[in-house]
Amino acid sequence: MSYVNVTGLARRFGGTTVFENVGFSLDKGEFVTLLGPSGCGKSTLLRCLAGLSRPDAGRIVVAGDDITDSVPQRRGIGMVFQNYALFPTMTVAANIGFGLRMQRLPADDIERKLATVIDLVELRGKESHYPHQLSGGQRQRVALARALVVEPRILLLDEPLSALDARIRANLREQIRDIQRRLDLTTLFVTHDQEEAMILSDRIFVMDKGKIVQADAAETVYTQPATEFVARFMGSCNLLDAAACTRLFGHGIDGHLAIRPESIELLAAAEAGADDLPATIRQHQLLGNVIRYQVESRGTVLLVDRLNRGRDDLLPRGSEVGLRIRREDMREVG
Amino acid sequence: MRADLYHRLVVAALVALLAVPVLATLAYSLAGNWGATILPDSFSVRWYLQLWHDPRFLSAFGHSLLISVATLLLSTLVIVPAVFVVFYRFPALDRTMNLLILLPFAVPPVVSSVGLLQLYADGPLPLVGTPWILIGCYFTIALPFMYRTLADSLRGMNLHDLMDAAHLLGASTPRAFLLVVAPNLRTGLMASLFLSFSFLLGEFVFANILVGTRYETLQVYLYSVRMTSGHFTSAIVMSYFVFTLVLTWFATRLGKQESQA
Ligand SMILES: Nc1ncnc2c1ncn2[C@@H]1O[C@H](COP(=O)(O)OP(=O)(O)O)[C@@H](O)[C@H]1O
Ligand SMILES: [Mg+2]
Repeated sequence: MSYVNVTGLARRFGGTTVFENVGFSLDKGEFVTLLGPSGCGKSTLLRCLAGLSRPDAGRIVVAGDDITDSVPQRRGIGMVFQNYALFPTMTVAANIGFGLRMQRLPADDIERKLATVIDLVELRGKESHYPHQLSGGQRQRVALARALVVEPRILLLDEPLSALDARIRANLREQIRDIQRRLDLTTLFVTHDQEEAMILSDRIFVMDKGKIVQADAAETVYTQPATEFVARFMGSCNLLDAAACTRLFGHGIDGHLAIRPESIELLAAAEAGADDLPATIRQHQLLGNVIRYQVESRGTVLLVDRLNRGRDDLLPRGSEVGLRIRREDMREVG
Repeated sequence: MRADLYHRLVVAALVALLAVPVLATLAYSLAGNWGATILPDSFSVRWYLQLWHDPRFLSAFGHSLLISVATLLLSTLVIVPAVFVVFYRFPALDRTMNLLILLPFAVPPVVSSVGLLQLYADGPLPLVGTPWILIGCYFTIALPFMYRTLADSLRGMNLHDLMDAAHLLGASTPRAFLLVVAPNLRTGLMASLFLSFSFLLGEFVFANILVGTRYETLQVYLYSVRMTSGHFTSAIVMSYFVFTLVLTWFATRLGKQESQA
């Protein structure tokens, strides 16, 4: 039995269904990312878990107790919002201590817990600052500390990093993951950034139009996408329909064939064997450490990524090449 | 440079224009005797002394303060929770409220006071002639100021996320409101209270028609002594002017503080 079990969850607004029949489970201490494009229902799902939105159907069970109808105050769920939602008229210390004061803990308990959590999120010295005096990253750490200090059973984070710039985002990402491991905290992290999801997660739930279409380890989601949507959403991907498949490989397919650009090998025309595809370079794009070629083979344009090893290595437009694709790198998706 | 000079001149002229009546009133209120000369013969503060020793003035001033403060207390107790409920639970009502708060402006005071006079002259609630009717009536005057300011404060903050965060940390809705939302409204509320206060202190039509001398307010008093002495009424006007000036200054200072935060 998992720590968190969600079954048959549905949420409708008026006539429109945001999601329906959503089910998943989380293990104790697991870090799971809910990944999906904006508007697919991630926040709504999180709000249902937190009790801020009432699901129209389904059950939510945490550690054996059914919290589907509990008020948010009694769920033991902490949440971090995208826009921080810090209390503007309270200092950092007052913000973080808010939950403890609501529990009416003795003052010295509050002091002790505050000190611990402030060290944990590295905000020592900022206790008497107000939110508007802090940077975005600091604000989000206050929000994190505020959620952590009451020792929630589950931590929910709704795109906590998307308002921050890239460098701070990377730092804070590491910090969140580190703290989560130390506290062995069951965490559901919402993002629309597939890179963030892959770096952070034990597992990724990919969500599309209100459905969790795949729930697997990051590596599996990337290499074995369950659907065309997942393949497309997790980085770039060549998706071939039946006609393209027939032209390239001589046989058709139901659905699509997904091939990652980095799994296709580019060979000089002379090295290509009978099983390799003859192709012509059409264009290239410099992505930094990778060069992305657009290569045409039998009337189909494929993306091929290759490590950037310097100027001499660049294949000019119009070059004749061979493409080698291993069977196991091709994946049929629905 | 020339344009700048021009702008300064225009502003200076405007200020001078607006200041002339005030300064003239001030001079007149301080003049001992001012007949056929350009400048007064003598200066004295006797008009002020006479005014501030007049028990009728003091009681009128007291009545005005009492009615205004009571009105604003009532308004705060009713409007603050109401605006919160509108924004938190029934955001669609905001449009209706915006129309509703315009009504006191849409109907001229003379007209609505006649209506109120008929309604409350007798019957179950014979309020005419008592301060109570003024408190109720002034409530409707304060409502637009307060609703607008409070609504702006609420719109400016992230009400739903703040409430959600507070709920998740264990606060009930009333506690979340008191601890998280209300402190955000404080400066806006104070500013609108000061503004309403100076407005109410200057209200004459309702006070005169609905209550008159039965519970004399400042403006009714001023009206009734208008024939006594120009120096004396000038002293009243100046006292009142300084009082509202200080209040307005407070209100704008609070407004500034809020925009800096
Ligand atoms: N309170 C609401 N009332 C009506 N529709 C809503 C409400 N909240 C969310 N929705 C709709 O639900 C869908 C999913 O929204 P959301 O959960 O915020 O998506 P995400 O977080 O994945 O971007 C959107 O189409 C949105 O318009
Ligand atoms: Mg969202």
